[in-house]
Amino acid sequence: MTTTDQPEPVPVESGPGRVLVLLDGSRLSLAALEAAADIAALRGHDILGVFVEEVNLLRSSGFEFAREIGASSGAARPLDSAMLEMRMRALAEQARRSLQRAVASRGLRQALKLCRGSVIQEVLSLAGPDDLVVMGRAGWSAAPGSRLGSTARGLIRQAPGDVLLWAEIQRRPGYGIIVLLNDDQGANHRALAVGIEQARRHHQPLTVLIRSHGEGGQEVVRAIEEQLIARGAGARVKLIPRASAAEVARILRREAPAELVVSRQCSVFDEQGAEQLLVELNLPVTVTP
Amino acid sequence: MTVPAPLNIDQVYHRCPPEKLDFETTETLEDLELPCGQERLLRALEFGASMEGRGFNLFVLGPSGAGKHELVERFLGRHAGEKEVPPDWCHVYNFKNADRPKALRFPAGQGREFRKDMNDFTDELRTAIPATFESEEYQSRIQELQEEMAKRQHQGLFDIQEEASRNNIAMITTPAGFTFAPMRDGEVIDPEEYKKFSDEEKQLIESKVEELQKKLQQTIQQIPRLRKEVRERVHALNEEMVQITLGGPMGELREKWSHLPDVVAHLDAVREDVVEHAEAFQDGESGPPAGLLVRYKVNLLVDNAETKGAPVIYEDLPNHQHLSGQIEHRARQGTLYTDFTLIKGGAMHRASGGYLIIDARRILTQPMAWESLKRILFSGEIRIESLERLYGLVSTTSLQPEPIPVSVKVVILGDRMLYYLLSHYDPDFLDLFKVEADFEDDLDRDDGCYELYARMIATMARGLEAQPLTRDGVARLIEHASRLASDQRKLTAHDRVLRDLMSEADHWAKQAGAELITADHIQQAIDEREYRASRVRERSMEQITRGIVKIATEGEEVGQVNGLSVLRLGASMFGQPARITATARPGKGQVVDIEREAKLGGPIHSKAVMILSRFLASRYAGDGELSLSASLAFEQSYGGVEGDSASVAETCVLLSAIAGVPLKQTFAVTGSMNQHGEVQAVGGVNEKIEGFFNVCRDSGSLGSQGVLLPESNVEHLMLRKEVRDAMGEGSFRIYPISDINEAIELLTGMEAGVADENGDYPEGSFNRKVQDRLSAFAEVGKKRDEDKDNGNGEGGKNDDD
Repeated sequence: MTTTDQPEPVPVESGPGRVLVLLDGSRLSLAALEAAADIAALRGHDILGVFVEEVNLLRSSGFEFAREIGASSGAARPLDSAMLEMRMRALAEQARRSLQRAVASRGLRQALKLCRGSVIQEVLSLAGPDDLVVMGRAGWSAAPGSRLGSTARGLIRQAPGDVLLWAEIQRRPGYGIIVLLNDDQGANHRALAVGIEQARRHHQPLTVLIRSHGEGGQEVVRAIEEQLIARGAGARVKLIPRASAAEVARILRREAPAELVVSRQCSVFDEQGAEQLLVELNLPVTVTP
Repeated sequence: MTVPAPLNIDQVYHRCPPEKLDFETTETLEDLELPCGQERLLRALEFGASMEGRGFNLFVLGPSGAGKHELVERFLGRHAGEKEVPPDWCHVYNFKNADRPKALRFPAGQGREFRKDMNDFTDELRTAIPATFESEEYQSRIQELQEEMAKRQHQGLFDIQEEASRNNIAMITTPAGFTFAPMRDGEVIDPEEYKKFSDEEKQLIESKVEELQKKLQQTIQQIPRLRKEVRERVHALNEEMVQITLGGPMGELREKWSHLPDVVAHLDAVREDVVEHAEAFQDGESGPPAGLLVRYKVNLLVDNAETKGAPVIYEDLPNHQHLSGQIEHRARQGTLYTDFTLIKGGAMHRASGGYLIIDARRILTQPMAWESLKRILFSGEIRIESLERLYGLVSTTSLQPEPIPVSVKVVILGDRMLYYLLSHYDPDFLDLFKVEADFEDDLDRDDGCYELYARMIATMARGLEAQPLTRDGVARLIEHASRLASDQRKLTAHDRVLRDLMSEADHWAKQAGAELITADHIQQAIDEREYRASRVRERSMEQITRGIVKIATEGEEVGQVNGLSVLRLGASMFGQPARITATARPGKGQVVDIEREAKLGGPIHSKAVMILSRFLASRYAGDGELSLSASLAFEQSYGGVEGDSASVAETCVLLSAIAGVPLKQTFAVTGSMNQHGEVQAVGGVNEKIEGFFNVCRDSGSLGSQGVLLPESNVEHLMLRKEVRDAMGEGSFRIYPISDINEAIELLTGMEAGVADENGDYPEGSFNRKVQDRLSAFAEVGKKRDEDKDNGNGEGGKNDDD
């Protein structure tokens, strides 16, 4: 089922580039909405809110034995469909109001798409290669501590365009934008472009870290520097060893950036526990195809 | 009886013998450190200042202006110099009970050092601890800790999720928690389809779901415990880091102050507190909250770093707060706030180990101050409590600083009346002020005193920055000091009067361009002072010369005599003659004191009149009845009469009225009398004589006038030069009398007469006349009584009764 809340004509189909923001009513998704609105305002793109009623959840409330275990209290209470439907409607309403509020001050065009099904499937069907998907890195389940939700895990591997996983700002915010690249991949271009854009947006310095085996690293550095010059941007370019994801996490922590940009094709994703890297770095991460 | 000879001018003025003053000017004289003639006071001070026992505080009593304060301060200053410097006291934060700041004792001068050490330490805390928290080591350790704990937390949920997946059960996130549902191919089975499952399958699934739910519940319920564990471990790590950081500076401080166990204990408490609040120091940018660091400060309450010997403190406003200290408040956004740094010490704190000088009248007029002082002296410790709390007006919580032990010698300066009133009405007073240091009003004027007195004058002149005095100037001042003491054998010890006189003489000398103060300048100062205060005296004198107030200075009158009175106005005194009259007629042995009847006479005057009437009865009536109705009055006196110095005059005028013998009006009489007719000394003789002299001089009748005064008053005479000159010329005489008969003979020119063994006086004598007249009165009285007894009641009609 698909409905669109459309006060203004906003193309639901993929256009020249939109910002898709996933709303589920959780605190983190509202923070992500603010970030998405900022980006959309900067790019002059339209913003499309997506609220998906997870079919699995709706089904699970249909069982007689269904119980909801409180995320904080651990208390079990009956879960029935009517109540859940009501809750979902309330959350959808809240998402719409939040979206309206977020765009109102920025003069953007917005639309809210309400659908029912699997979140990943719905987003994949909506997003195009030029669209940026913005979402909280975890949904409701963030409460007991999970720092990377299943939807996030799915989308960073499958989304046709960029995915920004929003995270709550840490107690001590970092500084600077880091782009993490491989010395042997073709998708560096896109990740670098996103990094430059973000550095400009936040008025923060850019650092490019290149995972290198050692041989040929310098050439990549040169190539990157040429690209930076071509785009009129300045950045610190550094080679780092192709170590494990945990080691990369340590290096990144030392740099303490405000945001990270990484390509999905970066070899770090091939390793075991690559997702752990994202879990450990509690900061907004943009994953490019 | 022979009439006494008039006094010569040497008898009425005690000159200062020039040979006793062996100097040209006071410039050559040495300073006199302690005043002469105050041996009793000095011994009391010496005793009180060195006596160690409790309650041996001093009360220095003497008239105001006697120079008590200066003398006591000078004396104690010398005494305190030999004593050791008392300790410093600090208030510091009490980490166990914040409302009760602790007191620390330091050897003199070290309190200041400790305060500096703690300030330096606080500054170091401000930078060193945030630096520790910024360090790579701390950051990575804390990260490790958090990761580990997060992992443990997630692992529980993850394990359940894994177990659910293995059993084809989905763990689904809901807006408020989790739920479990059977799944197939990664999707939850439609409930409708599920209904078609066999009961066996359903039971299997449902029991598994139930099991998972229970596990999940347990896992979630463990999360708070895990979080607590994280907090504890983070805190333990913080403490460990702070301990290491503090180790160096704290070790140095402990080593430095190891000789003072209390200070070391405080330092340990500070270290524990810093460790406990380690997190507050973490924020490197804005730094730890000021409220935290202020707790490590030191409030130096008593700083004796620059004190030499024991302190001598004079508190000129001895109110409760100034004595026992106070806790001040700071207004912050409309609320009042205080902490131990706002505790301010009082005079008792500063004087501890030394002396505190307080003015009695001032402390007694300040609310609660006297009670506070006594409380401190009784308890031996200072407990700072605000006045509003003492009165129970405020009940908000405030600080109660640890009491500071105090050992102070309190010296109270006050006049004698206060001392005697306090001794009488305050039961604590004599327990606390056991040493009575009584100021001598006058000094003995003997051969040895001249040199010391001259040195005292020289010291005073230097203190006043006045010109030096010449020898004759000093002599004149000494003579005036005798006059001020109203005694030829005394010199006044009243500091203020002498100082003022010297300052004035200095002024006149400077105005005259003189470099030395001579006798003339002293005389000018005396004259000017007298002139300034002479308005009332001159008005009163004018009334006499114009005849408005009637005073006769010539001729003779029956039943009329010149008495002498003294009026005191402010600091000045002057004498003035008063006419006393009497009437006498037969009656029932009564002398009516008109002054008393009109309620213008005081009790002493009444007593004198009663003595007089008993004297009359015993001397002239013998065994018979005194039949007399007499009256006595001070004419034109409207302001009341007190004292017995007119008894001689009253006796003479009454006898004159009885005997009908006139009295010479050229004389004025003063002196009191006892029941036997002996004349006794009175006060203010100089002023009285000068007062009568002035009247005689102004009325132009100076020639044969004089004054009769008690013989025992002769040595009190220090008459002014004008009177002495008149005496030298023989135009004014002073007769010393010791018995009423002498007065009678001088005033009447008749022989008084001495009674024989039968009580009869010789024929033709004055007393015989009195006796005869009284006998005649008695006859009249007897006849009247007989008439009354015979039924002729008319006789009683004229009776005065």
